Amino acid sequence: MFPGPTLRAAVSGVVETALNQALALDPAGQQALLDALQGPVQFRLTAPLPLSFHLCAVGGQVQVGSEPLDAPALDIAGRPLAFAALALGDDRVFQEGRLAVTGDMALAHQFQRALAQLNPDWEAALARHLGDVPAHFLGRRLRSAVKWSRQASASLHANIEEYIHEESGALPGKRELEATFADIDDLNLRTERLSARLEQLEARLDSPRTHTPE
Amino acid sequence: MTQQPPSPDQENRAPSENDTTHFGYSTVPKDRKAGQVAEVFHSVAGKYDLMNDLMSMGIHRLWKRFTIELSGVRPGHRVLDIAGGTGDLTMKFSDLVGTEGQVVLADINASMLQVGRSRLIDRGYAGNIEYVQADAERLPFPDNHFNAVSIAFGLRNVTDKDQALRDMTRVLKPGGKLMVLEFSKPTNPLLSKIYDNYSFNALPLMGQLIAGDSASYQYLAESIRMHPDQDTLKGMMETAGLVNTKYHNMTGGIVALHVGIKP
Repeated sequence: MFPGPTLRAAVSGVVETALNQALALDPAGQQALLDALQGPVQFRLTAPLPLSFHLCAVGGQVQVGSEPLDAPALDIAGRPLAFAALALGDDRVFQEGRLAVTGDMALAHQFQRALAQLNPDWEAALARHLGDVPAHFLGRRLRSAVKWSRQASASLHANIEEYIHEESGALPGKRELEATFADIDDLNLRTERLSARLEQLEARLDSPRTHTPE
Repeated sequence: MTQQPPSPDQENRAPSENDTTHFGYSTVPKDRKAGQVAEVFHSVAGKYDLMNDLMSMGIHRLWKRFTIELSGVRPGHRVLDIAGGTGDLTMKFSDLVGTEGQVVLADINASMLQVGRSRLIDRGYAGNIEYVQADAERLPFPDNHFNAVSIAFGLRNVTDKDQALRDMTRVLKPGGKLMVLEFSKPTNPLLSKIYDNYSFNALPLMGQLIAGDSASYQYLAESIRMHPDQDTLKGMMETAGLVNTKYHNMTGGIVALHVGIKP
C-alpha cells in the first residue's frame, strides 16, 4: 500500500529532525510541548491519503513515528487543512468537528496551546551561520514583509467586503442582515407560541367535561 | 555478468549434505562458514558504515528507523541487538530504554564489535549498553531475559539459521518481540532485474574502489540470493516457536522486516 514503510520512515525522519531543530531554538516552547506529550499523540489524515503519524517524548526530544498506534493517549483525525488551522492556533476546528478527537480533550487543548506558543528564535539560528548583523538585517526585512502581507491581506478583505455590500449591493450589509435574522427569530418564536396555544385549545375542546357546574 | 545460484542437483551432488552449507554460491563445510564470514567482516569493518551508506544510498537508515519504530521498546526494557555491528540500532534502543533499561550489543566478530564500541562511546553512548562477543546460535544469556531481540542484516551470515532463531526465541521473555531485518526477494520482476545488475556489478566494484576488497561484496550479493525469501523465513520463525509472525516489505521487497512474538 502506498506510501510504503520506507517512504513513511523518510517523511517521519524529516519531520522529526525539523521539529527538534525548531524546538531547540525555543527552550520554553520545547518544554511546554514535551509536557503536553504525556503520552503518544497520534495524528491521522483521513484524506487524500490515509496516513498516520504520532509524536512521543523520548529523552528530552520529540520522536515522530509513522506506524499507527493501538492505544494513543490522544488521537486526532481529520483533513490536512484542518490540521494546518490547528497549527495556526484556530481552536474552532474541534468545535466545528473538522477534527475528530478521541482521548483526553484537555490534553488536546494543552497540546494546541503548546504549538501556538512556539516561537523559535530563527534570527539566532541564522546568526550562527551568517553573523549577527546580516541575520538581524534579514530578520527585520522578513518581519516587516510578514507584517505588510498581513496588513495587505486584511485591507484587501475589507475592501472586497465593502464593495460587495455597499457599492455593488450584491449582498446585504451585516447590520441589515442581523436585524432581518432577529425579526425571523421573533416571528418563529411567536408562530411556535401560537401553534402551542391552538393545540392547547383543541385539546381542551376534545376532552370530555368531568365537572358540570350546578 | 550475474552469476547463478547452485541448482538443487548440484547441491545434492555435494559429498555429505548435512555437513555442508552455502557461503554465497559456494558450498563449504559447516564448521568453516563462521570463519569465512569472520574474514569478510574483519576485512570490511573499518569502512562498513561508509559502504552501507554508499551501497544503499542512505536508505538503510530508513529501514533501521522503521525497525526501531515497530520494536515497541519502552523505558526500562532490556534489548538484545544481535549482529549489531557498528551499533546503529543499539544507539536508538539506548535512547528508548533510558537509564533504567539495558541494551546488549552482540556480534560474533571482534573487529565489528570494536568498531561499534568505539563509535558509540565517541558519540556519548554509555551506561546502559553492554558489549558481548557472541554466536547467534549459542547466545550466552538466560532464558526469558529480553523484552526485544533484533538482528539486522546478520541472519543470512549465520550457519544454522533455525538454531539461531530457536536461541533468540529462548532468550526472549514471553510477550517479547523478535525482529529480523534482512535482505529479501524483490516483489517486482523489473526491480529484481535492476537490483541483480546493481548488486553483481556495482557492489563489487564499489567494494574494490572504497574498501579495497571486491570479494567480500561479491559474497554479500551472493549471500542475499541464498537467503530464504519472505514466506520461508516467516515459516522458520513459526517453527522456532514464535507467534503472530508477519513481515513488512520495504523498498519493493529488497529488504523485509520480520516480526514475531514469543507466546
